[in-house]
Parts: sequence; C-alpha cells; structure tokens
Amino acid sequence: MEIFLILGIPALLSIAALSFGKRKAFGVINSIGYLAVLSAGIFLAKKVIFSGCTYSFFGFIYLDALSAFFIFVISVVSFAASLYSIGYIKRDIRGAIISEEKAKIYYVLFNLFCLSMFFVPAVNNLGMLWVAIEMTTLVSAFLVGFYNTKKSVEAAWKYIIICSVGIIFALLGTILFSYAFSIAGLSKSLNWSDIAPVAHILDKNILKIAFIFILVGYGTKAGLAPMHTWLPDAHSQAVAPISALLSGVLLKTAIYAILRFGIITIKGVGFAYFSHLMILFGIISLVISCCFILVQKDLKRLLAYSSIEHIGIISIGFGLGTPLAIAGSLLHVFNHAVTKSLMFFGAGNIVHAYKKHNMNAIRGVIKALPFTGIMVLAGCFALTGFPPFSIFISELLIIIASFVNGSYLVAASLLLFLAVIFGAFIYHFGRMLFGNLPKGMAVAGEPLSGKLAFLFLFFQICAVGIILVFVKKDLLWITERLFRG
Amino acid sequence: MVIAKRTPALIRSFRYQSFCLFLLTFSIALEERRMDLYIIAGLLLVIKVFLIPQLLYRIIKRINANEDLGLFINPQLSLLWALGFTYLSWIFTAYLIVPSNQAQASILAIAFFIVLAGIFLMIFRMTALAQVIGLLVMENGLFLLASTVSGGMPFFVEIAIFFDVFVSVLIMGFFVYRISRLFTHIDVNKLSRLKG
Repeated sequence: MEIFLILGIPALLSIAALSFGKRKAFGVINSIGYLAVLSAGIFLAKKVIFSGCTYSFFGFIYLDALSAFFIFVISVVSFAASLYSIGYIKRDIRGAIISEEKAKIYYVLFNLFCLSMFFVPAVNNLGMLWVAIEMTTLVSAFLVGFYNTKKSVEAAWKYIIICSVGIIFALLGTILFSYAFSIAGLSKSLNWSDIAPVAHILDKNILKIAFIFILVGYGTKAGLAPMHTWLPDAHSQAVAPISALLSGVLLKTAIYAILRFGIITIKGVGFAYFSHLMILFGIISLVISCCFILVQKDLKRLLAYSSIEHIGIISIGFGLGTPLAIAGSLLHVFNHAVTKSLMFFGAGNIVHAYKKHNMNAIRGVIKALPFTGIMVLAGCFALTGFPPFSIFISELLIIIASFVNGSYLVAASLLLFLAVIFGAFIYHFGRMLFGNLPKGMAVAGEPLSGKLAFLFLFFQICAVGIILVFVKKDLLWITERLFRG
Repeated sequence: MVIAKRTPALIRSFRYQSFCLFLLTFSIALEERRMDLYIIAGLLLVIKVFLIPQLLYRIIKRINANEDLGLFINPQLSLLWALGFTYLSWIFTAYLIVPSNQAQASILAIAFFIVLAGIFLMIFRMTALAQVIGLLVMENGLFLLASTVSGGMPFFVEIAIFFDVFVSVLIMGFFVYRISRLFTHIDVNKLSRLKG
C-alpha cells in the first residue's frame, strides 16, 4: 500500500508542476508531498523488516528489506532536496538566472527524476530494473544541462553518453544472466523472486562473465573508478539540489542493482569471486579519488571526487561480506547520502554567494554566510569520518570487519587513504571557511527553507551517529535479514 | 559500417542492419507462431527502420552539420580492426557456450561482433551523431543476442527497452542540437572544458 503512495506522489506532483509550476507556492507543496513520501517510506521499512517481503501489482513490484532500505534513503534525501529547492529556485528566479517557465520545467523534471529513482528498488523484474536505471539517466541529463551553458551541456553530453554505454554493458550482463537461466531449464521470466531461490543451479562460467558486465555497467553509473569519468563533470554542473540527489542516491541505486546481481552470483559461483571484484574496484576508487582530491581546485568537483571515495568504501564493505561489514556498508549508504547532500547544499549556497567554483577565490565563508559556514564545517568533519558523526561509526565498522576478516592489506589501505583525504579536506575547507572576505563581498541572508533542509540533514547525521552506539545488536540482526533477501 | 566516411552512409547502414534484424525476428515469429514476436518485429520495423533513421536525418538537416564523421582511423585500418573483432567474438563465444549447437554459436558471435563494432564507432569517430549511432548499433547487437540465446526477454521488458531506446535517441538528438547551437560544431573531441 505504502509503495503506491511513494510512487504516486512524485508522479502526481510532476503532473501538477506542469500546470501550477509557475506559482510561487508550488515549491512548498512539493516538499509537503515529499514529507508524505518520507513518512510512507518509514512505514514501509518498518512493515517489511518486521513482517517479511511483499508483492503487489501482480508481482510487478516486489519489496524486501533491501529495497525498503534503499527506498527509505531515497525518500530522506529527496525530501531534503525538495526543501532546499524552494529557496534555491526562488533565488535563481530573482537573480534572473532562470525564467519562471524554466522553474516549472525544473519541478517537472525533479519529480520525474525522483519517481524513476523510486522505481529502481521497487521493481521485481531485473529487466525492468535496467529500464528504471536508464530512465534515471535520461531524466537527470536534462537537470545536469539545466543552465544551458557550454560547460553544463558538455557535462550533460558526457554524462548521457558514458552512462548509456555503461548501461548497455549492464544490459548485456542481464541478457547473459537470462541465458544462464534458460540453459538451466528455468523460465525466462527474469523475476527476482523466481531467480533468487534457484540461483545455485546456474552455470558458473556464464554467471562469472555476466557479473563482470553487470559490475562494469552499473559500476559506471555508481561512479566506481575507473569508470567514474562522467561523475565530477555532472555533479559540478548540475543544479545544487540535483547534485545532492545525484551523489546522495542516484549512485546508490546503481549499487543496489549491483547487489541484486551480486547475491545471485554469490549463490551460483561462491563468495570469493564477488568479494575480490568488489574490493578491487573499491580500492581503485579510493586511490584515484584520493589523488584528485589532493590537487582539486573546484569546490563541487572536490565533493564529487569525495563521492567516488565513499562509493569505494561502500563497495569494499560489501566485498568483505561479513555481517559486520555489510552493516557498516548499508549504514554508510545512508550516512553518505545525508552528509553529502548537506555538503552539496552548502556548496550551492557558497557558489551562489561568491559566483565562483574556484576554491582559491573563496575565502571567509563563515563571515559571509554564518549559518551555511557552520553547517559546512560540521559536514566537513562528518564527511571525513570524525566522531561523533555517523560516518565515523560506519567506517569504523567496515575497518573492524576487515581486521576481523584477516584482510589487513585492505584495512591498512583504507586507513591510509582516509587519513590523506581527511588532511586534504581540512586543508581545502579550512582555507575557504576562515580568512578574510574578498573585497566588496556583502553578508547575505539565507532562505528559511534552505536552513530547514540543513537542520533536517544535520539532525540525521548526529542522531544516527549517537543512536548507533547503543543499538548495535539489533542492527546486526536487521542486516542479516537484509542480505538474505 | 565501420568503413563509412560520412554520416548519411552510416545512418543508411544502420537502417539496413535494423532491417535484417527485423527479417530475422519475423522469420522466428513465423516459425514459432507467437503473437508477441510479431508485435516485437513490428515495433522493430517502425522504430528502428523508419523512425530513428528519419530522426537522425532530420537532425543532420537542422544543424547543417559537416557530413564528415571525423575519422581517427582510416577505412582500411578500420576494416582490419573489424577482422580482429570477428576473431575476438569467436573466441568469446567458444568460451561461453557448449560447441554442439553450431547455428546458435555463429549468431552469438555475430551479435558480439556487432556490439564491438558499436563500441569502435563510439571511440574512433569524433562527431556526437556518430556516438549516438554507435550506441544504437550496440543495442542492435544486444537485441540479436537476447533474441537468439535466451529466446528473447520477457515481453513487457522488451517493449520497455524499445521505448527506452527511442526516448534516449530523442534526448540525445536534443543534446546534439544544443551542442551544435552553443559550440557551432558537434565535434566531441573538442569538448574539453571540464578537466581534473
């Protein structure tokens, strides 16, 4: 039942935006809608975790704990983004950067984008999963190229081409999976609920190749290095609330797809294969993002590379595969989503105030934008894994798990790169946040809705970090259920 | 296809390829007398043989693009690459399936070859339109693969994929148009503002 609310509200809102999108109040209505989606998401997660998986709509939609979790994460971030959009779009209209007509288009696309992302974890069929992920690319390409400047159109083009090629590989992988089912004498329905119980009888060779294609294909969308090249361009050029959605949840939906196929592969081929691949790509992502973070000059690109880093950490966690590591990774999915959204909102405000992306030209943010400055400072510590914030806990879980597992090399490289990235972040943000204002810079006010979005996310970052210390046992129990499907 | 020098020639060869795909699907449909295959064949004919090439021709006309594809590799060398691809796809097929079924193996190899040719087009041709066509070629290869090895995807998935491909071509066409207006060319090799 809740799932219809979750899918229906964005659909209705996108239609509503077509006719009322120009009205000033529409942004508020939009976020009220997403508040409803968020509460439906919470109910759904509760229901699914305690009473098992559900089907609806003739088996077209299938929800288990894993998909409920991802739906919950998407609903949190999309609510925050809708809140932040109100002030952001209003300011852009006032500054004559976009027309009211364009604001309408923005709201239509925003809702379609969220709708397509909610579809990804909800569908049962692995082919439809592919279609849903391709839809997210197509819709968000417009939002990346929204400002219609040379840079943003270039970013959108790279985004759409690289992700489409990636996703074609994923389709190839999906077809090979279905080939594996057909030679095993199963029906070709491709429904997750039919496949998962019988995955162990599938042909091993084909599964191995198919999973590589899946990993490369959806990994492109997830931003795993070395297929990440679209990511910094798209993230840095998109509208700020959309950057948050892209980095916070779009990447995670691709991770979700990898996990789905990964579970089949684990059942068919054994765990080591999956584990080695995930850890390999995770480490490569860490190395590459670390190098680029050190020498970065552009604020939003810095955050984009940090997304690659965190995706790397998540994939290492899943690759380790013990319940502790998986708990850490799932938490990290959530924590990174909220923290990175907060940072992108902050970056949006900063870029708007200074009219520049270049970090060398941004000084004294705390003086110019006191509220944003403090939030970004806290977010910066949270993002680099400082206690008591939540990312600290999830990274700690993953590192502990890798020590327990005996993968000392993985643990050591994780610690090393995290330390380097921590240093780089503190250096970059320290220079930006403190120091003297550039000449002629006025102290500007910030819109209330933007502040609300910050507070909402900040609350999640702190609360999760503190609560988690007390409920570790329940958490492990829930995780085990999550991964059993 | 890999030796085409001009965009219209490339589009034409894409059209022939889609038409062959249509014939194949249609003949399978005749053989097995399945309603869904007829529908898929019909969609193939309408979308890939008529609508998409027409759309691409219109884009060329609208933007008055230079018809040169901008080859990184000349036609003769491209042909050599294609030979290499054929060999590769045979090896890959041999690894993948049991050798008893000759007909299936050869179709599988052809499908992989088409996918590789699509990748080749995307990498070694410089215009944005060539990249779109490369993507479509890859998709054609996958369609062939799906319809032979696993007897096609489930029906509604197939429909959804068709729809998806069509929409993506529309959107890419839109972006090609935007690029040509903003940059006055569609040479993706020169899109290099964003780095690092």
